[in-house]
Amino acid sequence: MMHLKSSLRNIRRAPFQAVAAISVLSLTFFVATILAIVVFASNQLVRHFETRPQVIAFLEPEATVEQIDALREELSRDSRIRNVTYVSKEEALQIYRDLTSDNPLLGELVSPSSFPASIEFSLVDIEFANNVIEEVRQDPIVDDKVGFTATVGSEEPGDIIQRLRDISFWTRVSGVVLISVLAVNSFLVLLVIIGFRVTMKREEIESLILMGATPWFVRAPVIYEAINYGVIGAISGWLLGTVVLLYATPSINQYLGQFEIFPSDSISFFSLLGVILAGELLAALLISLLGSFIALSRSLKLTRK
Amino acid sequence: MVTFDHVKKLFGSVVALSDVTFHIAPGEFVFFVGPSGAGKTTVMRLLIREYLPSEGDILFSGTSVLGLKQRDIPRLRSDIGLVFQDFQLFKEKTVRENLEVMLAVKGVEQDEWQARIEHVLGLVGLADRVDQFPGQLSGGESQRAAIARALVTGPELIFADEPTGNLDWDTASGVMELLKKINDEGKTIIVTTHHKKLVDEYRGRVITLENGKVKSDTGKTKKSPSGKATRDEKK
Repeated sequence: MMHLKSSLRNIRRAPFQAVAAISVLSLTFFVATILAIVVFASNQLVRHFETRPQVIAFLEPEATVEQIDALREELSRDSRIRNVTYVSKEEALQIYRDLTSDNPLLGELVSPSSFPASIEFSLVDIEFANNVIEEVRQDPIVDDKVGFTATVGSEEPGDIIQRLRDISFWTRVSGVVLISVLAVNSFLVLLVIIGFRVTMKREEIESLILMGATPWFVRAPVIYEAINYGVIGAISGWLLGTVVLLYATPSINQYLGQFEIFPSDSISFFSLLGVILAGELLAALLISLLGSFIALSRSLKLTRK
Repeated sequence: MVTFDHVKKLFGSVVALSDVTFHIAPGEFVFFVGPSGAGKTTVMRLLIREYLPSEGDILFSGTSVLGLKQRDIPRLRSDIGLVFQDFQLFKEKTVRENLEVMLAVKGVEQDEWQARIEHVLGLVGLADRVDQFPGQLSGGESQRAAIARALVTGPELIFADEPTGNLDWDTASGVMELLKKINDEGKTIIVTTHHKKLVDEYRGRVITLENGKVKSDTGKTKKSPSGKATRDEKK
């Protein structure tokens, strides 16, 4: 407790060094918070596309119930395929009517015979798409028009998912690189500031050692001081990131519409932020401990006779 | 209390101390005198085991300091109150905090701190300076604060290395009076100095060092009926 008080007193009596250390660490953890959220959101986006029915196979009008059941069973057993659903002509009509509910006339102009029955399913991995589609197309009750459920411009969903995966991957890679650079930067700033503090206190440290202070007694206030910098930096960076996120979430949700990239309930949302904070505190502790140990070892080596 | 038994200390080929032998009993007031480089400070640094002797043995309270393990050295040092020529007060700490650090080093319970601090600051006459920083104190006050810091943990031995070296005569006299007062309370005091006039003024045992050897030792001091230390000259 005495060492903690002593370290807080040191911060109060040398405020500019403290502000320099804390602001660099805050910036690092602010960027880390934002990147963690971006990575989480991109994962959610990829998952959103991956869990949608990706393939739709239209069935021949003369397909019997037995044939349809056999095909469904065969697809369900395939380890590359998940979420197999049969959509009858009537259900297809109902979906159409729901989608055109703002213009009832469109719905009245069509009958169930206008829509073919279909089997929809998702793929475990989009890589399997071409093979699976080709195999399903060989089935005698399947129409030739087997393909992805939607297209965006000239791109098919498989391309979109792959692109999102690429974006997610490169976001992670660039995030790790950026955070590493900032973490190294913070570490060096901490090293310089703590080293400077120890050098300024060299006489005091020498006197303490002569007067019977144990190595831990000499080191503890410096280590506590570094931990204070780290913890305050992590919390303020996280707080700033959280405020930015809370401020931007409604606009992002409105812009993305159906894509749910943030947890919808507040418990999950704040749990995510809690996990990020815990991770950042752990990282701050590691940076602080490592920085203060190295700074102390370097400076005390010069003090030893 | 302190015994040097045929101690020799070499720094490379330089002989700092050679065949130094003396015994200091509890309650004595001892001056180590001699010119610069005579080995006075080396005696202190050997006693607190900052240096190891090249030959001989050193005993403190009956225990050889040479046989101490590394982890026991802080305890030895905290049992000796050290006072330095340049005070070595912690500049960023107030007088009170300087004393508190020593109490924490010694592991004294916190509920005793206030009483101890008040007692020693009253003894050295700095009760009204408790919240001042060293930079706000005069030279004499700084040295008295340093003595208070050495005293606050209640060591039986105070080793003052040139405590009056940076002080004018009047202030130096004040510091010596203080050390005498502390000696009268039963503490053993060792003072290194090259201030001959001070040694003549204040009675005590005088060990003269020259070129790392004991040139003379006036003999053990003993208490007079009035409690004042008197010199028992060696024949």
